[in-house]
Amino acid sequence: MDDTQDRLIRCFSAIFPALSREQIIAADASKMESWDSVASVTLFAMIEEEFGAEIEVQDSVDLLSFRKISEYLNAGNRSSAPGQRAS
Amino acid sequence: MRRGHQNIVPMKLVEAFEILREEQPVNARSFRARLVCGFTPLHLETFFNAHLRSIFSDRNVEVTSGLYGDFWGNFERLDTTNTDVALVVLEWSDLDPRLGLRSLGSWAPSTFPEIIGNAKARLSLLTNLAERLSKDIPLVVSFPTLPLLPISFSAGWQASAFDLELRAWISSVALKMVEIRNVKLVNSERLNQLSPAANRLDVKSEIASGFPYKLAHASTVADLMSRLIISAPPKKGIITDLDDTLWNGILGEVGAGNISWDIEHDSQPHGLYQRLLHGLSEAGVLIAAASKNDPQIVGEALEREDLVLPRSALFPVDAHWGPKSESVGRILKTWNIGADSVVFVDDSPMELAEVSANYPDVECILFPKNDPQALVGLLFRLRDLFGKSVLSEEDAIRRESIRSSQKNGAGGVEDHGGNLDEFLAQADAELTLNFSKEPLDPRALELVNKTNQFNLNARRYAEAAWDAYLRQTETFLMVVAYKDKYGPLGKIAVIAGRSLEKTVFVDVWVMSCRAFSRRIEDRCLQELFARFQAEKIVFDFKATPKNGPTGEFLARICGAKPEPQCSLSKEQFLSLQIKTSHHVSEVSNG
Repeated sequence: MDDTQDRLIRCFSAIFPALSREQIIAADASKMESWDSVASVTLFAMIEEEFGAEIEVQDSVDLLSFRKISEYLNAGNRSSAPGQRAS
Repeated sequence: MRRGHQNIVPMKLVEAFEILREEQPVNARSFRARLVCGFTPLHLETFFNAHLRSIFSDRNVEVTSGLYGDFWGNFERLDTTNTDVALVVLEWSDLDPRLGLRSLGSWAPSTFPEIIGNAKARLSLLTNLAERLSKDIPLVVSFPTLPLLPISFSAGWQASAFDLELRAWISSVALKMVEIRNVKLVNSERLNQLSPAANRLDVKSEIASGFPYKLAHASTVADLMSRLIISAPPKKGIITDLDDTLWNGILGEVGAGNISWDIEHDSQPHGLYQRLLHGLSEAGVLIAAASKNDPQIVGEALEREDLVLPRSALFPVDAHWGPKSESVGRILKTWNIGADSVVFVDDSPMELAEVSANYPDVECILFPKNDPQALVGLLFRLRDLFGKSVLSEEDAIRRESIRSSQKNGAGGVEDHGGNLDEFLAQADAELTLNFSKEPLDPRALELVNKTNQFNLNARRYAEAAWDAYLRQTETFLMVVAYKDKYGPLGKIAVIAGRSLEKTVFVDVWVMSCRAFSRRIEDRCLQELFARFQAEKIVFDFKATPKNGPTGEFLARICGAKPEPQCSLSKEQFLSLQIKTSHHVSEVSNG
């Protein structure tokens, strides 16, 4: 399990505390009532802070599953310093 | 409470959520905070919730907020009956929408007078609401923290009349509000240090979701405001080293004439340290010296009239060649305060370690003798450790009363063959009782929250809870001041409770350790029996690791080891035939 995935799971777990690790990895906004717009705003803010990433508004509309966010971060859309605050 | 005076590091959002996932205590009292702001409370509410749960770990914390975009309505509609504290976070756009990013109202220079006029009117409303609401609950207020947008026609590096006028109105209102009891304002200077102005505004978030703060800024604002709700009790005394700390130079090597603390001798940081100690001393903090030195040469050095910290501010001065911990022990005994109320400052890590090993509760701080930048950090740290919201008369007389009790008090009893009755009879002791609940005396709560040894149950109160307790009609408050021919001790005891059907229930009873051995506690009971025509007094006693003197006193008068809700009948009390010779008078506030 890579570090990015673990840290992303921590973010999801903070916002969706009822989900197990397996459920988080499979998480998809279209299948979850609790993943509403407030959860999205909070999740993206948390990910930006945790990964030093800057998620563009146009990108965020597609980032509606754990898998897509994980791929987005692994594609290099984050700062080189893990955990650094987004500036 | 979990935390004390530690450095402030912004909490991350994920950490805040993790705190919120922790179980809240079962059957605990609730603590209800109302966040009043005009923007989407979003992450700020989360950070408040997390910070308040860290502070009030024994309570069920609940943070609620009002409607988006309606700061003034949210403030006016505040339900003070169901709120323990209001957290008021004002931003520029609450003064006029054109000062924010979500409005497209005109920035034409012709609109400036109107914008200023709106801001003035709303700031005036803020003061009125604060005056009204703070009568019921405490308010913690943050004035605008975001950068002002480039509205004025001047270039950004030039101060504009528009910006200055807006800020002047803010300052003028802040100055009025800081005087209102029950209102506390965030110190913008400290916020500037912790959260640089350029890193506060989150434009994307403000436009997309109406939340204008970057996360680190939101966390810092929430942290500072939470700290204003209930402050950690201030420390009471500093024990300072002398050589290379209070002054530059080793006294035994260079002599009293060659130690220094000024720019001329390249030793200004020592003078700056002395100046802070003097300021603390004048604000009621006890200052003592512990030095490995020849006492005679220390005496010579302290006679120097150019010391910034005058000799009179230091009491006691303990100079010898033994371990510093021995000095600390003697000084604590002289001051009669707990080790956890004291800070020890020395330039030697070894001395700090030796004191810390013997007195782990003493806060040991290194004096950074070769690092002027760190010295300023030390000044801020000491100010934080000893910070108070207001100064009381007692702060001004504390040092002298300890000095005088050393000279006359203990020795006085001995001069009377150790006979306390005889000593007290000649001391011209006077007790002044004050039963007023309005206006509330802040010294009463200060005593309740910081007294350890004579404290019935060590229950601590937030200002809101104390206010609510005293607002109950059946609750009484008795504040006791003391003086004798050796000098005044000021307000030294607080008793609060309820009188019901010839029984007095004492919920709170604290007395300063400076007032021990004067039979004040006995006289207080006499007064309670008399004033309320009581036949019985019930004490809400709870033993704590520190309130042994209270337990011993109750055991003496009740005739048995005290238990929770132990009681004393009038008959039992009179049978003790306690002699008290205090002259008692009554005053009221106002």
